[in-house]
Amino acid sequence: MNQWLDDRLHISRLNDKFLRKAFPVHHSFFLGEITLFSLIVLIITGILLALSYEPSNSPVVNSFDPGTRAEPNMIPAAYHSALKINAMPFGDMLRRIHHWMANIMVAAAVIHMMRVYFTGAFKKPREINWWIGMLLLIFAALTAVTGYILPYDNYAYNTVSVIYAIVKSVPWVGDWLAQAAFAGRFPGEGIIPRIYGYHIMLLPGILLALTGAHMLIMIKQKHTQPQYAKRIAYKKIVGVPLSTQQTPIMLLLVLLFTGLVVLFSAFIPVHPIEHYGPPSAQPISGIKPDWYLLWVFGALAIIPGFELEVLGGIISAEFVGAMVFPGLIIGAMFAVPMLDRAKDNQYYAENPTNHPVRLAAGVAFMAMMIVLSVAGYKVELVQSGLLPEASANTILWILTIGVPLVSYFATLGIVRGIRALREADERDALAHAHADD
Amino acid sequence: MTRYKKQDPEMTRRRFVNAAMGGAAAVGTLGLVSALGGAKPVLRITPDKAPPRAGDILVHATAAKEGQIIRPSEITDRVIQAWPMGKDQDGNDVIRKAEPNNLVGVQRFRKDSFKVPGEGEHVELKLEGIAEDGIVVYSNKCTHAGCSPENYAKDTSKLFCSCHSGLYDPLQGCKVIGGPPPRAMPQLPIKVEGDRLVVTETFVSAPFGFLNNLDWETYLQRVKEILG
Ligand code: FES
Repeated sequence: MNQWLDDRLHISRLNDKFLRKAFPVHHSFFLGEITLFSLIVLIITGILLALSYEPSNSPVVNSFDPGTRAEPNMIPAAYHSALKINAMPFGDMLRRIHHWMANIMVAAAVIHMMRVYFTGAFKKPREINWWIGMLLLIFAALTAVTGYILPYDNYAYNTVSVIYAIVKSVPWVGDWLAQAAFAGRFPGEGIIPRIYGYHIMLLPGILLALTGAHMLIMIKQKHTQPQYAKRIAYKKIVGVPLSTQQTPIMLLLVLLFTGLVVLFSAFIPVHPIEHYGPPSAQPISGIKPDWYLLWVFGALAIIPGFELEVLGGIISAEFVGAMVFPGLIIGAMFAVPMLDRAKDNQYYAENPTNHPVRLAAGVAFMAMMIVLSVAGYKVELVQSGLLPEASANTILWILTIGVPLVSYFATLGIVRGIRALREADERDALAHAHADD
Repeated sequence: MTRYKKQDPEMTRRRFVNAAMGGAAAVGTLGLVSALGGAKPVLRITPDKAPPRAGDILVHATAAKEGQIIRPSEITDRVIQAWPMGKDQDGNDVIRKAEPNNLVGVQRFRKDSFKVPGEGEHVELKLEGIAEDGIVVYSNKCTHAGCSPENYAKDTSKLFCSCHSGLYDPLQGCKVIGGPPPRAMPQLPIKVEGDRLVVTETFVSAPFGFLNNLDWETYLQRVKEILG
């Protein structure tokens, strides 16, 4: 049969080109794989959920609590179908797996990016893949956000109203943009069908296409080689081939972590739609975005309110906080490979401590993200008395600027200190070696 | 020097391909733009989406009592959420809750405790829109991001938006006295007629969901054209 297939599909060539691809042996290289596997599990669970989901926000009678004939209990069809999914055998669990997997995918992607950043794997010739990775991160976040809206419970309703307001805050074109994106003034009749289209067709399509490009480029360019490869065989590709050595490792990994997520899903409830109830005038206090968008929320919380009229357009705090500021941050991340002026191709993953400025900048960046995320809890911090009401903003601003600065110089100092010690050790060793002669 | 200009077949083919690609790109862009044009539906205003209008009656908005008419006797300084309820073409009652920005908050204060804000404060408080016994109605959508402010725990005469700690003073036209909201939550002038609260005119300025007063007035104009 192999021969038969080979005559038609040239499996042997595929084998040489792809199936023998060498994988570096280092645990940090599994992060990208975990991201990929999460995407696959997300697609599978997503398809199963889509089979029972009704993408419509027209009101239907709640079959679980129909009310009376005179006063039927009407809820949006999407919310009703989400209730029905919860009532299905393992339906709630399916939703939870989908939810946890999405969180793990973003987390794995973020840590994967950190690995790439700190080891300099974004350098020439891999800049394109860094950019594609950035796009993947952005679209993954968008997909997650649209996914939050689909159950159309009160939480989703509040979330989408805030997102609508943010889109609308774009000067000049915001109104048109928001209405085009969300099918009319919020909450239009077509809002759920529209977002369903985004969440199950448009965005996954983009994600899959980008993932394909990301992987093909990675196969073409090969992984950066870990340091040990330099010692074993300089400028040679070292690693285990995809088929058959890496495959069992991958399978083991995917089973292990899918099992972990299923375990999570069995015991940790997420997004209890019954608790939030159908969309209502009662807003949910303390509503927060997911952890990976909390920093935007924090920036919005501490930016002072203002409105500025420029040529008929209005530049508001909302726009600056939720669009311009994240745009700058994302732009800076996009620019990372351009800060490196090296002409030569990068073969080996670098030791982060050999590049103290890059290391310190990365640490400072993450420190800022963490401080901003904490600022997202401003109201809670004030209410619990940890921050004084009057100066909460000022304090949070000082922290937003100060903590990254401190961590930058602290990292530099620590790295320099370690280096100085190491060099002193070497000098010592050298001196002793001479003394022994 | 040749007498004939040499025809380079490669060049003409390249030119053809370029032209074909250009043409395809142009047609594609046009198609995309028209498809995107269809993405924004036309504005359809139905009575349940119309902004509050003169003659509307205020009804409870909280899930437990939704649709029940608000009586003046149940109003205190604790904000009560309400919807305007009007009539559709056939004269049936419709609660205008399909437009979430129609949510209003009803409160009562001592009539003499109100303070009309000064000229430069860009806040309007129509004293004649406050009922005889001090009942005042404001939009209950924070102009920052649309949460619903509640009574402030430390000073119940203020409204506090827990989303990003916006603070409003209902005694002074609901002007912003703290936090990020850019504008006051506008007043909805009302009067008491018998046992019900009747709207006398729509919001005095732009509520949440509108960029500014101009945006709000154009919208009112459109609504008038559509609903008459
Ligand atoms: S929504 Fe009220 S302060 Fe932000």
